[in-house]
Amino acid sequence: MTFKLRKLSKARTTSSKSNEDEGAKTEKNEPLSDSLAQNVEAVKQKTGNSADISIREITLNDQAHTKAAVVFVEGIVDQQAIDDFLIHSLINDDDLKKNPADNILETIAEKVVALGELTRVHNHSELFQALFNGETVVLIEGFSEGVSTDTKGGESRSVDEPPTEISLRGPREGFTESIRTNTSLVRRRIKNEKLWVKSITLGKVTNTDVEIMYIDGLAESDIVQEVENRLNRINTDSILESGYIEELIEDQTATTFPTIAHSERPDVVTGNLLEGKIAIFIDGTPFVLMVPAVFVQFFQSVDDYYSRFDIATSIRLLRIIIFITSLFAPAVYVAATTFHQEMIPTQLLIVLAAQREAAPLPAVVEAILMEIIFEVLREAGVRMPKAVGQTISIVGALVIGQAAVQAGIVSPAMVIVVAVTAIASFATPSYNIAIAARLIRFVNMIAAATFGFYGIILTFIVLLIHLCSLRSFGVPYMAPLAPFDASGAGDTIIRMPWWKVKKRPALTVDGNVMRQGDNQKPSPPTDRTMK
Amino acid sequence: MKRVTTWISGLLLLFLAGCWSSQELPDLALISAVGMDATGDGQYAATFQVINPGNVAGEGTLSRGGSESPPVTTYSSTGPTMTEVNRRVSEKVSRRPYYAHTNLLVVGEQLAREEGLEKVFDAFERDPEFRTTTRVIIAEGTTAGEFVTALTSLDKIPANKVIKTLETTESFWGEHKDTNMREVLKHVGQSGHEPLVSIFTLHGDEEKGKKIDNIQTTSPEARLEATGMAVMQDGKMIDRISNEASRGALWVLDDIQKTAVSLDWKGQKDALVFQIVRNKTDVSVRIQDNLPVFDIQVSTEGEVGEAHVPINVSNPFLSGTVEKKSGEEIKKIIEQAVAKAQELQTDYLGFGELLHRKDPKLWRKLEKTWNEDHFPTVEVNVNADAYIRRSGLRNEPTFSEDVE
Amino acid sequence: MEKANIYAGQLFVLMFIFELGSALLIPLGIEAKQDVWLAIFFGMLGGLLLFFVHLRLHLYYPDKTPPEFVKELLGKFFGTVVACIYTVYFLYIAARVLRDFGEMLVTFAYNETPLFIVNALFLLTVVYGVYKGIEVIARTGELLFVILYALAIAGFVLVVVSGLIDFSYLQPVLEDGFKPVLQTVFTETWYVPFGEIIVFTMIYPYVKNKKAMKKAGIIAILLSGVNLIVTMSINIAVLGVELTARTQFPLLNTIHSIQIAEFLERLDVFFMIALIIGGFIKISLFFYAGVISVSVICNVKNKSKLVYPIGIVVLFISLTQASSYAEHMYEGITIVPLYMHLPLQVIVPVFLLIVAFIKNRHKKEQSL
Repeated sequence: MTFKLRKLSKARTTSSKSNEDEGAKTEKNEPLSDSLAQNVEAVKQKTGNSADISIREITLNDQAHTKAAVVFVEGIVDQQAIDDFLIHSLINDDDLKKNPADNILETIAEKVVALGELTRVHNHSELFQALFNGETVVLIEGFSEGVSTDTKGGESRSVDEPPTEISLRGPREGFTESIRTNTSLVRRRIKNEKLWVKSITLGKVTNTDVEIMYIDGLAESDIVQEVENRLNRINTDSILESGYIEELIEDQTATTFPTIAHSERPDVVTGNLLEGKIAIFIDGTPFVLMVPAVFVQFFQSVDDYYSRFDIATSIRLLRIIIFITSLFAPAVYVAATTFHQEMIPTQLLIVLAAQREAAPLPAVVEAILMEIIFEVLREAGVRMPKAVGQTISIVGALVIGQAAVQAGIVSPAMVIVVAVTAIASFATPSYNIAIAARLIRFVNMIAAATFGFYGIILTFIVLLIHLCSLRSFGVPYMAPLAPFDASGAGDTIIRMPWWKVKKRPALTVDGNVMRQGDNQKPSPPTDRTMK
Repeated sequence: MKRVTTWISGLLLLFLAGCWSSQELPDLALISAVGMDATGDGQYAATFQVINPGNVAGEGTLSRGGSESPPVTTYSSTGPTMTEVNRRVSEKVSRRPYYAHTNLLVVGEQLAREEGLEKVFDAFERDPEFRTTTRVIIAEGTTAGEFVTALTSLDKIPANKVIKTLETTESFWGEHKDTNMREVLKHVGQSGHEPLVSIFTLHGDEEKGKKIDNIQTTSPEARLEATGMAVMQDGKMIDRISNEASRGALWVLDDIQKTAVSLDWKGQKDALVFQIVRNKTDVSVRIQDNLPVFDIQVSTEGEVGEAHVPINVSNPFLSGTVEKKSGEEIKKIIEQAVAKAQELQTDYLGFGELLHRKDPKLWRKLEKTWNEDHFPTVEVNVNADAYIRRSGLRNEPTFSEDVE
Repeated sequence: MEKANIYAGQLFVLMFIFELGSALLIPLGIEAKQDVWLAIFFGMLGGLLLFFVHLRLHLYYPDKTPPEFVKELLGKFFGTVVACIYTVYFLYIAARVLRDFGEMLVTFAYNETPLFIVNALFLLTVVYGVYKGIEVIARTGELLFVILYALAIAGFVLVVVSGLIDFSYLQPVLEDGFKPVLQTVFTETWYVPFGEIIVFTMIYPYVKNKKAMKKAGIIAILLSGVNLIVTMSINIAVLGVELTARTQFPLLNTIHSIQIAEFLERLDVFFMIALIIGGFIKISLFFYAGVISVSVICNVKNKSKLVYPIGIVVLFISLTQASSYAEHMYEGITIVPLYMHLPLQVIVPVFLLIVAFIKNRHKKEQSL
């Protein structure tokens, strides 16, 4: 497969697939025949007479009575457009009525059809591809090729506020399941011919449209090439969601950390494109992948960029603390109460000791038990219908919070620790990094239970080594912190004000690093009356 | 995949085999104070004050409020060495003694005088659990064991009561120093600055002090009270100082934070009180005729706390006189304290250390017999400057009909 | 030698943590009593001198590791012998440092845990890092550096705030003249930690920008020297000379002394984190140097194959090289500096530099 380069600036594009890639699908690749009846029969037979394949047979010209068939798939086409601009024209057009049969195809292609894009299909493979892309194919008696017009349409979700990434201040648009809508949302934000889109079809069965988008001259060409190579490598039957692609193209599989970012927000994708990153759009999902991804990226939320830099910086620091809390809080509790009682202030230790006086379980068992119960509650809360959701919280609060403590099975301090951890893990802006932390939390608890702080510190160092050894499309995962890169460090755990961020992050940007001109710091006249 | 499995199972094995040093909270006996005594036949007797967490933490926890059962329990044992004593107590306590939260070490007077602190400290110092920030006091009048056994009101844990008393009185009155093990150890190994250790006394009925009734009355029968400072030489207690002598010594050591001095005014005794808010003492040494001379410079700030004579303290001329009088009074206190130290032939004022820093060569000559021969005869000059900054909320007392 | 590229900033960070590694924790140069800061200062100057010697030598062969270029300098046989000696030295020191840290942990926190387990866990972490390669170690070092420095500053502030510092303990200066100071310098502070930068000769080839490298090295040595001086001075100012000399880990005692507001006390964990971070980098670098030397000498292309077996060897050396901590310390104070540090850190590099100088001058004349 190869990519076809297209400019999205044309209002519509067809996904006319090139022919070379069809070698793999030889059984479909038989040419169309001259006979309309044969072609129609072939369509019927190959689709198993599917109910949603609509074939409308019409007669084109008055003299020759050339038969034609309009073939499309119901539900994925714009029915109104087919009726008004295709069938209506085909039946009523005066030119066509007088036309002899031999050059009728040219007439249709050039004069009759009042629809945007028009291509020819020559074989069955092209025919079906066009059909399932929402195009309408006109087959004509006596021609071994058909005319395909773009009539994509049908029901799809409208652009809505993304439910997983809420922002307080910022655009309310989110991606939908339609790839074209999604690319257009980004296109509207970057009105520049340098925004390039390349297309590829993945999934032998699903034939899913996948497009990569980047800003030419900003995105590192090596990385673009690498993304293309990795996508081309994919040989699977189906791509149903971005998660499939993520797992098939990531750098390292043995890790719980995400090395590819995703977002539902066009403004996030736009921001990433402007830093030289590459977006991968997949048809059928509102989640757009962004590569290369670095660790700190998962702690940045869109609101950071729309609110004042000082506020944003403090919130980011808070998030880092939250993340560390969600990783280590129960482990530290276990380590402190079973190994390092000396580090707890005496008064606090007495309170803890009083609580644990009658506790039947060792601290670590208690901790792991409570964490598992919490994870169960969380999972139940996510999967339950909204109406039942309240029951979960009542059961959780009463049974876990109240009854377990009163029954003396768990100590109140443990409940506090678990609650803090739970809230902390929900406050991490990116779900996929929060879930990674949850998994590692259990490892930390076991390490803490066996070796106290020594175990925690060693797992922490191993974690750091692991993070430092990760790469996302060749970019070190911990960049721009390690290796330290001054041009990118202004937007990591702190956010510098915009007028300070002169350069784009050098690791992902191809040479062209200057983001803005000099003296961007606002300098209003000293006379504030503005007279 | 196979490698990953091997790794994981290996690690799990390691983790399961781990847990050597782990100890659950209910398995620990949290010792809040240790009392050390000499039994007379060359053995040590130790009394451990163990916290009963359930009785301290109060309501809200599973065990009910702690008013009925005592907040601490004491256990004692004897043996020829500290380690043995420590191990032996396990015959009586169901839990492992845990020293990391021991805040108070009480040494009986007899032990302090005969054996000295160094031997006692060695075992504690080696133990990584035991803290060098542990406060050290000497129990006078009773054995340390009796002292540790007494219950106190206000602070549920008796050890805390002692510590807080020390802290408060150090910063509020300045006759006692809050000494911890590190400070004592620092000075024991060093000549030219002997340590001072606070002395506590158990007043009242010792037997009643052990009962929970003792903390259920508003005026407890048995009370713990700071009564002076022990003078140590070579780690052994040789004498005690109290009242003005100990306050003066702390003044020289620059350990006074707040205190009050009573002044006479026109023949009336203790007519005015000068409250000290801020104090700075500088001791310097100069060499004269191959002998050290020490200059003590005190500058202190404060306010008038009480006046029993009609006087308008807001009058700057008058307050100048008061300042001068206060300075003289402080000077008197310090001079007496220095004289006392010289009389005891013990340099707990740190003069020797000062000389060491100033003139190591001269110090080396004098070091051997410093306490006995040189310290008692050195010349000491005291100068005290007092400044009155304010006079409380009033200018003049109510009975000032004819204010000067 | 693996295919890797580290930049001067990373070299600085590694050197800095490496120098502080164990020196921060032990009573470094306490034989000089209150003049320990002078002893460290002169040790630092000596270290700087050694750094220049190593650097000069390295610049003759900027892309080669020492085991490669000693063969060119001394001939194949003698070159290999010298390279082997250094390999053993690196691995032995890695084992020694591992033992140091294991003993510390067992002494102050994990009394009941066998030394073998403590060491094995530590080494497992190191092996994982070395397996991932020098780039990953360098990056990890960058992050650990931030943590270490944050801890250091926090600790410093806490010590100052709790009012423990009494700088008069640092007087009198030069009580017994320069003799004890210089004696300490030549028996201890020159070699540990400053002379140990010999191990970085294995790292220099990865740094491309030699000018920046020189600067990074100088700054790292100076900064770590200053940090050590500050730390040891604070230890003495808090504990006094006698107590500092008597304790095994003065910094631990200093941290024990912190008491603020009944809450910020007993901060052993601070000490432990600093200890493990420093130990990790230090052991990793020695171990890495050893592994790379072996792979160069034995011509093994894939060094990651060597990591595990050599790791086991180091673990066993660390356990068997002494039967007790006292023996370990005796070796460390009397034998190692004289028979290992002095010849291998100072004499051999100087000798090699002279040989390299003569050989290269000869070459130049020929080419002219």
